Amino acid sequence: MRNTMEVIELKKLHKTYEGIVPVQAVKGVDLLFGKGEFTAIVGPSGCGKTTLLNMIGGLDAPTEGQVLIEDQDISALSPAELVDFRLWNIGFVFQSYNLIPVLTVKENIAFIMELQGRNHKEINDRVAYLLDVLGMKDKMNIRPRYLSGGQQQRVAVARALASSPKFVLADEPTANLDSQSTENLLELMETMNRTEDITFLFSTHDQRVMDKAHRIVTLEDGKVVRDGKQEKVE
Amino acid sequence: MIAHIAWRNVWRNKLRSLVVISAIALGLWGGIFSYAFMQGMGEQQVYSGIHTETGHIQLNEPKFLQNYDLQRHIEQSERVEEQIRQLPGVKGVCDRIELTAMTSTAYASRGIMLNGIDPQIYNGVSDLHEYLTEGNFFEVDNGGVNPIVIGQALAEKLHTDLSSRLVVTLQDYRGEISYASFKLVGIYRLHNTEFNEQMAFVRKQDLQKILRLPKGYVSTVSVLLDDTKQTKVIQGQIAKLFPNLQVQSWDELSPMLRMMSGTMTQMSLIFVFIILLALAFGIINTMLMAVMDRTREIGMLLSVGMNQKKIFTMIVLETLFLSLTGALAGLLMSIATVNYLGTSGVNLTAIAEGINALGYSERVYPQLDPGFAPQFAVMVIMIALLSSLFPAMRAIHLKPAEAVRGE
Ligand SMILES: Nc1ncnc2c1ncn2[C@@H]1O[C@H](COP(=O)(O)OP(=O)(O)OP(=O)(O)O)[C@@H](O)[C@H]1O
Ligand SMILES: [Mg+2]
Repeated sequence: MRNTMEVIELKKLHKTYEGIVPVQAVKGVDLLFGKGEFTAIVGPSGCGKTTLLNMIGGLDAPTEGQVLIEDQDISALSPAELVDFRLWNIGFVFQSYNLIPVLTVKENIAFIMELQGRNHKEINDRVAYLLDVLGMKDKMNIRPRYLSGGQQQRVAVARALASSPKFVLADEPTANLDSQSTENLLELMETMNRTEDITFLFSTHDQRVMDKAHRIVTLEDGKVVRDGKQEKVE
Repeated sequence: MIAHIAWRNVWRNKLRSLVVISAIALGLWGGIFSYAFMQGMGEQQVYSGIHTETGHIQLNEPKFLQNYDLQRHIEQSERVEEQIRQLPGVKGVCDRIELTAMTSTAYASRGIMLNGIDPQIYNGVSDLHEYLTEGNFFEVDNGGVNPIVIGQALAEKLHTDLSSRLVVTLQDYRGEISYASFKLVGIYRLHNTEFNEQMAFVRKQDLQKILRLPKGYVSTVSVLLDDTKQTKVIQGQIAKLFPNLQVQSWDELSPMLRMMSGTMTQMSLIFVFIILLALAFGIINTMLMAVMDRTREIGMLLSVGMNQKKIFTMIVLETLFLSLTGALAGLLMSIATVNYLGTSGVNLTAIAEGINALGYSERVYPQLDPGFAPQFAVMVIMIALLSSLFPAMRAIHLKPAEAVRGE
């Protein structure tokens, strides 16, 4: 019997980067991620975290194996279909360069919904709500470069969440942040995970970020070496 | 929204964009101005050509112009002229006797075209009398002598001057050679050197006597219109009225004038196009730099779901905005310059000798016809679209995973 609450299913996932010396970045990963999970992917540098997240997000194709998103094999999609799939199903937060510099905070948060062609009322309501959660109403009309790194990442999370995707992928979202900003960002992610039941999958090196995760998947040399739940820390 | 982003992207790297925009504006300023200059020059040439040399329309017996055979004259010319005068849009009609002749002085002899005219009527159709540098255009009675008016160039070639006598050798109506003596009463100077050297004018009644022509003999009828644009229409009407006569318009009579009015402007339009083509490389370079600078951003856009079509559109729009801003600036600068110089004119006296030989006048009034703007817009948009293709292709071929990975 399959658990219908599973959002992401990885089957024997392999990724080899071709080159003069081929690099086996991911070597046979099988994982399941359920709805509403708040999971950290951890491991030493070069263990394959980014590679894994990129394959889950349809940014890169696996050499072998399958990525199923709600039972749909995304490796079967064409590049054009994949862009559309990402637009409607996945939220992304990168380490940096998340925001469009020529758009204001408000326009950045609205961007994905605009691409989806949603109506203005819906977009405005959602953006207003998120600005409220971020506590950045006063900054909604300024451009990202006038924000701190922490504020920029918070806007990026809001942008990823705005369209209520099936899950949000965040590759080291706190890598460039100080501890206070890291804490604020994690708090925002946790709040949204709790209140909107949004599934988060993020990679990190940071022990404090790992501490907040409900589940930790540890990779080493392209393989899963540990996969454990942990109690919520109060 | 994409247009909004594209427009703001143009102004992201202000310096870089301003450099290209200035290049486009200046390049086109030069291009459009020379276009306007050529057009002004051509237009002026056509106007003065029509008003001194050809008139708008000319009628002859069909084979007359082949060898100016005196036998081939226009029958019942008075009736023909009267009927043409009745047509709306006709400003004036005059006739003349045209034949080839030789003229000589003690120094030299030259082949000329002798035009027997009725000065009063001729002046209603031609401005030639305004181009006299010496003497008069048959206005003063010379007593018994036959007066003649020639161009300055011919006068110089013949080493003659005002009040001198010219001997003209010609074939009369019956084909016999005869000689006649004329007194030089006027010298004109036209911009067209060829005309200057060949066209000599005498009174019709004198020529009739010398050649022993029948009464009412006319070889050529010239028609001047109110509006040059009406030429083809009225030419058609006249041709219908007189199917037995050859009816030619100014551009058929003078291929030189036709070239002035058409080819020159076409050529300078090509010149503008070549400038644009050169500018295209600048545009391509700038846009490629813009795309390369934004590799990670474009990767991010692709990642979060902005599809290739939209990214392509964004880059194309950026290129269009950039180019159109420059083109608009160039066009406005040109219009301002043309407006200013269109009234005061550009003085070319420094090189006027050479210019005259080509049939141009010393002062040129540049002008832009209203039809230019749309033609120009189409060219700019074409070039901009063409220039945007390569950078836009580059942008959509970026791989999201590689583009977002930090270096
Ligand atoms: N495009 C590529 N071509 C070749 N090798 C690559 C490429 N991208 C990554 N690799 C290699 O694949 C392996 C896994 O890289 P990956 O970026 O997934 O690790 P990571 O766990 O995200 O590391 P980090 O913690 O430093 O971000 C590394 O050995 C890396 O050098
Ligand atoms: Mg990584």
